[in-house]
Amino acid sequence: MLDINKNKKFYPKGRKTEDLALEEINRLIKHLPIQRDLLIEYLHLIQDKFGEIRKKHLAALSELLKIPFAESYEVATFYAHFDVIEDDEPSIQDVTIRVCDSLTCELFGSEKLIKDLSENLDKKKVRVLRAPCMGLCDKAPACEVGHKHVENSDLKKIKEIIANKDLHPTVIKGKSLENYIKDGGYDILKKCYSNKLAVEDVIEELNNSGLKGMGGAGFPSGQKWKFVRMETGPRLMTINGDEGEPGTFKDKLYLEQNIHKFFEGMLIAAWAVDAKEIYIYMRDEYPGIRLNMIEELNKLKNKNIVDSETKIYIRRGAGAYICGEESAMIESIEGKRGLPRHKPPFVSKVGLFGKPTLNHNIETVFWVPDILEKGHEWFSNQGKKGHKGPHSYSVSGRVKNPGVKLAPAGITMNELLNEYCGGMLDGHKFLGYLPGGASGGILPATMANIPLDFGTLEKHGCFIGSGAIIIFSDKDDVKKVALNLLKFFNDESCGQCTPCRVGTEKAVKLMEKNNWDKELLKELVQAMSDASICGLGQAAGNPITCTLNFFKDHV
Amino acid sequence: MIEFFLNNKKVKAEEGETIWQVAKKNGVALPHLCYSDKPGYRADGNCRACMVSVEGERVLAASCIRQPTEGMKVSTEDERSEKSRKMVLELLVTDQPDKDDCHDPDSHFWKIADEVKVNKSRFDKRENKDIPISDNSHVAMAVNLDACIQCNLCVRACREVQVNDVIGMGNRGHTSKVIFDFNEDGKKISSPDKKVDSLCPYCGVGCQLTYNIKNEKIISVDGREGPANHNRLCVKGRFGFDYVHNPERITKPLIRKEGVKKDPKERVDPLNPLSHFREASWGEALDLAASKLKDIRDSKNGEKALAGFGCAKGSNEEAYLFQKLVRIGFKNNNVDHCTRMCHASSVAALMEAIGTGAVTAPVSEVKNADVAIVIGARPTQNHPVAATFIKNAVKKNGLKLIIMDPRKQDLSRIAEKSLQFTPGADVALLNAMINTIIEEGLVDRQYIEKNTEGYNELKEHVKDFTPEEMTNICGISTNEIRETARLFANAKSAMIFWGMGISQHIHGTDNSRCLISLALLTGNVGREGTGLHPLRGQNNVQGASDMGLIPMVLPDYLPIANHENVKFFEKYWNCEINPNPGLTVVEIMESIYNQEIKGLYVMGENPAMSDPNANHAREALARLDMLIVQDIFLTETAYLADIVLPASAFPEKTGTFTNTDRRVQLARKAINPPGDAKQDLWIIQELAKRMGLDWNYSGPDEVYDELSGCMESMKNITWERLVNEGAVTYPCDDSSKPGNEVIFGEGFPTDNKKARIVPAKIVSPDETPDSSFPLILTTGRLLEHWHTGSMTSRSKVLSTIEPQPYVNMSRNEMKKNNFAQDETVELSTRRGKVSVKVRLDKMIPDGMVFMPFCFENAPANLLTNQALDPDGKIPELKYCAAKIEKLTA
Repeated sequence: MLDINKNKKFYPKGRKTEDLALEEINRLIKHLPIQRDLLIEYLHLIQDKFGEIRKKHLAALSELLKIPFAESYEVATFYAHFDVIEDDEPSIQDVTIRVCDSLTCELFGSEKLIKDLSENLDKKKVRVLRAPCMGLCDKAPACEVGHKHVENSDLKKIKEIIANKDLHPTVIKGKSLENYIKDGGYDILKKCYSNKLAVEDVIEELNNSGLKGMGGAGFPSGQKWKFVRMETGPRLMTINGDEGEPGTFKDKLYLEQNIHKFFEGMLIAAWAVDAKEIYIYMRDEYPGIRLNMIEELNKLKNKNIVDSETKIYIRRGAGAYICGEESAMIESIEGKRGLPRHKPPFVSKVGLFGKPTLNHNIETVFWVPDILEKGHEWFSNQGKKGHKGPHSYSVSGRVKNPGVKLAPAGITMNELLNEYCGGMLDGHKFLGYLPGGASGGILPATMANIPLDFGTLEKHGCFIGSGAIIIFSDKDDVKKVALNLLKFFNDESCGQCTPCRVGTEKAVKLMEKNNWDKELLKELVQAMSDASICGLGQAAGNPITCTLNFFKDHV
Repeated sequence: MIEFFLNNKKVKAEEGETIWQVAKKNGVALPHLCYSDKPGYRADGNCRACMVSVEGERVLAASCIRQPTEGMKVSTEDERSEKSRKMVLELLVTDQPDKDDCHDPDSHFWKIADEVKVNKSRFDKRENKDIPISDNSHVAMAVNLDACIQCNLCVRACREVQVNDVIGMGNRGHTSKVIFDFNEDGKKISSPDKKVDSLCPYCGVGCQLTYNIKNEKIISVDGREGPANHNRLCVKGRFGFDYVHNPERITKPLIRKEGVKKDPKERVDPLNPLSHFREASWGEALDLAASKLKDIRDSKNGEKALAGFGCAKGSNEEAYLFQKLVRIGFKNNNVDHCTRMCHASSVAALMEAIGTGAVTAPVSEVKNADVAIVIGARPTQNHPVAATFIKNAVKKNGLKLIIMDPRKQDLSRIAEKSLQFTPGADVALLNAMINTIIEEGLVDRQYIEKNTEGYNELKEHVKDFTPEEMTNICGISTNEIRETARLFANAKSAMIFWGMGISQHIHGTDNSRCLISLALLTGNVGREGTGLHPLRGQNNVQGASDMGLIPMVLPDYLPIANHENVKFFEKYWNCEINPNPGLTVVEIMESIYNQEIKGLYVMGENPAMSDPNANHAREALARLDMLIVQDIFLTETAYLADIVLPASAFPEKTGTFTNTDRRVQLARKAINPPGDAKQDLWIIQELAKRMGLDWNYSGPDEVYDELSGCMESMKNITWERLVNEGAVTYPCDDSSKPGNEVIFGEGFPTDNKKARIVPAKIVSPDETPDSSFPLILTTGRLLEHWHTGSMTSRSKVLSTIEPQPYVNMSRNEMKKNNFAQDETVELSTRRGKVSVKVRLDKMIPDGMVFMPFCFENAPANLLTNQALDPDGKIPELKYCAAKIEKLTA
């Protein structure tokens, strides 16, 4: 006999949202429009408010957005800065410390710092996480307590910060809008808007200057504008402010010094390709800059300098190196997981929201007003040995004076080290260097006389990329250097394709052994570079190849 | 068409073809894991097992996603791409469970690994702590996450093919993990010893499937590439096959024991029928049945005293023979079936307007539509596979969906407009839309002129139905009514889908008339992307109706009232036919209750559960002198039977079935009936013989030949064709051509080829809420259960997911009555009461409750109202007044 009270297991079908959670989320996001592409912005609001993202809130958010729970869950769990937890799990600690364990910080003792912090702080109140580069390589080891960046950190400093509850980001105010305007700022933009400058001439000027994409690809900027202009509108513009390549901190510097010069360059580029919507993707590791950017952008909007039709949006990254890859960044702006797209098509044809998109690195557009004001020779003449323009090298590691060095493109490592960085730290002998961050390979000191620029290092299996130069010495173990890099890639692989997802993980396992299986590593690296979808996987093996080729005695 | 070079050989590629596809055509098999070579699956290019090299390119290309360009030089044989493919497999093999000890050594993964000659790995496995544990929490599926290669094929199947949106890929990098919104998934896979291509026995979508048989048992079911399903199945089709092996199957003819009274309130234990019945031989049971029927027929007023309920789950051949038996053997036309309970009013309105009762375009046509209305239907539950194509059209083709339903539903989320109107106010809402369309001049004048009549009457009629007048009646704002009307009328092409929410009202025919008018006014019939589509319920309700299981018409809807039709069949069958139309289902029950009809032959139907006011229906059934029930289980109807004939389940027989799209499809016998159970066709024929009919059909093919010989609709669709092609749509113009999918581009099958526009007036539901019964009760089906549950409640998976009766209500109603979730309460109407559990439903409006009618232990139809639509004679199952009270201890 069937009995309705017979206790049969009940299968919950789908997820039922709680009214209270729905109300909380509704209140939290009501100042924003309901748009699928704002998902990551909403997730930030939840994370900031509650210090975590409970599933009930995620379910409520999904309902409001009319998207499946599975979709918001996969996005939320993709990004390192979101803590998705069960509804009945205890809350996450009040204070989160993210310690940078990328290469420079590791050279300067991040492992010890992590140990000190883990052993000496109250685990109930503070949690210590490893994190990738936060652009403070010249002040290593670095960490972020709450959203407060700490330079040359040690236990004592951090304890003080926690005690003072000083968890907010430091905002560095560079050149003000008033001063920028007083010095002739935005004049070039006005000339563009008023047709005193023709687009063709502007592009010609850029082409002659030799300005290239400073995010790492080195693609001639004038050409890029030309290509995007060839596509049928509407066209969009994105700014890649996800400066995540370990060892890179040049964009950070320029934004801190003179954010309006960046805005002006960006607006000129948008004008040139007739893009009426600009999306600036700022990495979440630069919270102070982002806050300042919002403020300065509002000031600028109030000045009525920007063309009234142009809309500028600032989007906040959420802790994913892969979103520095332009198509992954675009996915992220669309509110999705940062999975790089297959190419072709390139973003200049099919980019953000499927529209032709001009994507630029921050530094690239930063130079545009100067080039147009002072002429292309002013820029191109700053290079040496036939290379054009100045190059911003972010130098860190075992040197006396680390920092961003604006030096002639084509300078060699030796020149840069001795003329700009005051040589090696005392007691350290130059052993080798990374010319282009984690992906650009590793070169020995014996190969420090190669001009550093786009296209000069490729024949050695390396590249300059974003110009992140990390110098290590005879006190450092090159195998550990390479392992640090591969661990980084393993953490940051998006997981989309097999060679990168499994390859980086297996590479770490092989490299953790005392004796490297050189043949297997070579085979693996070859497949990773041949078969990965994007540059991350394709370049992830560079440190291995370079170590095997140039540091034979050390492996 | 372009040309490029594959391994130095010139090859051709069609527009949109990938390198992988061209390579396959040219005999070059490239490995593939994340890419499925099946329709509907987008290539994702993530596994990188299919890499090839392209001359001049720095890196290799994934052949599954890369399209060749003119003159491109592609190599699949070079060392670099070969090594790369091997390395990918080696990486994946590393973390798989060892092949000797894996979940399925015959899986596609291991086949591909064998193909590229990788069976072991030089890499270290991931650490134990990093191996995800299998998810065995679900009754139907287990996910062996330890064997997952993150290819996301399941995510695409769920999100893009089925659009169910419950599977996702969580986390990132090597910690990526397939996640489920609810816990889902598997079983140890065992391999079948026989595979039989057949059909799904459940709904009208008509999914083609393959039964996998081992030791005469169905062990699993796979979707097939059928025109209506393209490999897809829903939870019922995929997991609801085990009812055929349920121990409650009847395996011997049963005769009611002498002196055992028929108590309409009594339940018989299907596992122990011998409490009320005794077993008998087929000879005895059939002889007794036939002689009793003959006695009744040949007694005074006997020509009106017999009736038969045919079955919309049976084949066309069974339906055809069944109605022939009643018309000739019973000597009257009292033959009907459950279409009366589902689309009788839709059919009445369609027959009146366009001269036919079938759909004008298949579901799949929605991919060409700009706008589609779904009204009074919840396809994600009741036509789940059809729903996936509607969802595909929204996501891929930009279809704008208009959902009209007093309750919110799954499709509301992706709809352009979701109108939650007042229950029963269909005509008010639809007339207000018609008013808007006419007033704003959005009608298709040319179409109306050429193809319709009655427009002026309608125009006059709807003048008073302004949105301002109707807004309070239907509960939708004037603005929303107008916008929706414009959206529909301005569409280049639009379709209308409807279901029981339209038809099961006393104004069901009027509801359908409005929908037909909407389509005709805007010229949305007979073209690509347009059409009227009443979503048919049972797998063969279309066919059963076509075959004449209807009291007032002969096969092909030829009215009995027209003497020419009667004469035609008298000649074709060589017999006499009673010229008076027969009674419909509810009328038959009433006549039985009044003891005018004394003998009833029921094949496969379950009126004791499915009829409204089921207490009354059960009371009636108990009064019969002779009730013969032919079924696979001892149904609630069979409790009251005199003779029970053990029949065959769907997979146990061969026959043709006509789906909601007018597709005639062939089902094949996969297993034998259990014990002494017999195929239905044999049973009907044996009974007919014993009633004096000289029938000797050798099998379904011979029956099919006879029926297709007298039915215009089956022209050019031969049995051989169905055997070879599996499915042919009617009407079909030529035996070598496919059937016509979208019909009536060149006029309608009416006398003047014009459609008749019929205005509809507002009729209030028969029983509206009042102070003693303050709630509106609506009933319907569940995704997991079929109809009265006689099959699905005997399926382990389905009954585990939805084991017990419940009533859905809003949070406010729960609060008002102080009910807790899962609390058992008493739900009652003027006709009966049941105990059910309370379930919170955020989609249902206040003042309304919903109850599924599939649960034997709380039959919703004890409560429903038997008031009839005057034209369709369909009862108002979707609306009655009810109350809910706490259970008194």
